[in-house]
Amino acid sequence: MPGDLGRSRLLRASCAVLLAILLATAVAAQQPPANPIDRWNRMSPEERERELAKLPPGRARQIRQRIARYNQMRPEEQKALRDRYDTFSHLPPDKQQIVRDRLREFRRLPQARQPVVHREVVRLRSLPEAQRQASMNGDEFHSQFSPQEQQIIRDLTAYMAN
Amino acid sequence: MHADAQPCMEPGVETHMGAAAIAAVAAIGMLDYDAELMLRVKDGDGACFGVLLEKHRASVIHFIYRLVQEQAVAEELAQEVFLRVYRSRSSYEATAKFKTWLFRIASHLALNWLRDEKHERGQERLDDASADLPVRQVSDRRPTVEQELVYAVRLREVRLAVAALPEKQRTAVLLHKYEEMPYAQIAKVLECSESAVKSLLYRAYETLRARLAHMEST
Amino acid sequence: MNCPIQSRDPEKLVAYAAGALDPESARALEQHLMGCADCRSMVADQAAVWQALNAWEAPPVSPDFDERLYRRIEQGVPFSWWERLTRPFRPMSLRQALPLTASAGVLLVAGLLLYHPDYIAPAARSGEIVRANQVERTLDDLDLLRQFGTADSGESAHPDAR
Repeated sequence: MPGDLGRSRLLRASCAVLLAILLATAVAAQQPPANPIDRWNRMSPEERERELAKLPPGRARQIRQRIARYNQMRPEEQKALRDRYDTFSHLPPDKQQIVRDRLREFRRLPQARQPVVHREVVRLRSLPEAQRQASMNGDEFHSQFSPQEQQIIRDLTAYMAN
Repeated sequence: MHADAQPCMEPGVETHMGAAAIAAVAAIGMLDYDAELMLRVKDGDGACFGVLLEKHRASVIHFIYRLVQEQAVAEELAQEVFLRVYRSRSSYEATAKFKTWLFRIASHLALNWLRDEKHERGQERLDDASADLPVRQVSDRRPTVEQELVYAVRLREVRLAVAALPEKQRTAVLLHKYEEMPYAQIAKVLECSESAVKSLLYRAYETLRARLAHMEST
Repeated sequence: MNCPIQSRDPEKLVAYAAGALDPESARALEQHLMGCADCRSMVADQAAVWQALNAWEAPPVSPDFDERLYRRIEQGVPFSWWERLTRPFRPMSLRQALPLTASAGVLLVAGLLLYHPDYIAPAARSGEIVRANQVERTLDDLDLLRQFGTADSGESAHPDAR
């Protein structure tokens, strides 16, 4: 019957479209979601300039330079940073702010203390939870690190995977 | 959830249309700052959600509280408001002021709760909620017992008078008085015409004058 | 001026009682009030209502409101790619889905043309505009994360060392 044939063709066409979408989405799902800088890089030059034109020239120039520095990073370095940002951006908003605050405090630590604090965070992240807590509650931890450093270490250990 | 969020396009399409709308509105400098923050939340900037929460938390809770007149319920409903805002971030489009959208969600949730509660309890709800009485500051000195009693009586009168208003009139009054919203914005929150809002407020204030105008100020 | 009550325009009186009328209109209304007892009475009553409503303070917000909210956000399930894919097709039948898909495609092209009529190709890749402010904030976060990540390699994370 003509109606049956039409419906059959329509059904086959719909299946084909659906399958194409499923496949495309499955492929897309393999790739990690891009961070805003990567998405910015995918915009056309005109679109980027239009956005930058909304800012004061000095600020726009700084953003261009900083993006250029990001784009010039070694691939493995950029990937590591992108992975770290991916973890960070999936934190709930309040935790993101905590991490941001602690990283700023970390940045203000004396130069000699930064590697020490960093190594402690990495060391604690590698421990099982119970051992980690025991370590942070121990006398050695309290004597080695100032109260501010202890807080930085606690929060970055809790919220940063790498 | 999408009934309360702004209308969204099909996935994949919304970004183009939304971006076009933002570009058009921002180009003439009309994009409301809160809407801009919400667009950043849409882009994954969680800190901006914190800013919006900080800015609007109290007013949303207080608005719902004055509608439902129970603090615990008001906070629960307000949680639901912000939860819906956060969860619908991916489909958000800045086609109205952010506060208008926010209070539209709050009004829907509160009015739905009131309609559900109407069948359960009635007047007794206001009496049960006496524990919600806020601590009142009377100058820098501790209020006397008499002052506290007078305050409690006046407050009860106000609460009863507002609770007795039909729901839409009540909502319009609270938005007009405590959020200082202009008629046009109230109309968008209540999804009615501006002339309907004028009529709601006229009748509401007429009723409140009849009930409260005799109260002397302390 | 015309009597607001008789001309069925009492909003002016409500606004005046709330102190929300502009100075020029307020002066004109005050002239009228001197000779209109009905309006004077309404203004006095409305002012009493306003005072009564002013006295209605809402209780303070619980200190753990934000914490409870963020916990609920954390417990929520984010949109999966599957949900985003299937949403337009539920609860429609496969036969109904095809016109919907076709419509979505037409809208997609319309959106592209609307947004960027003279330069479509690069925009069509992502179709998304990232705002310069967002890029700047992401760059700030990336800097913080990068500086922490390299703190143990001899590079300084001091804010002045950038």
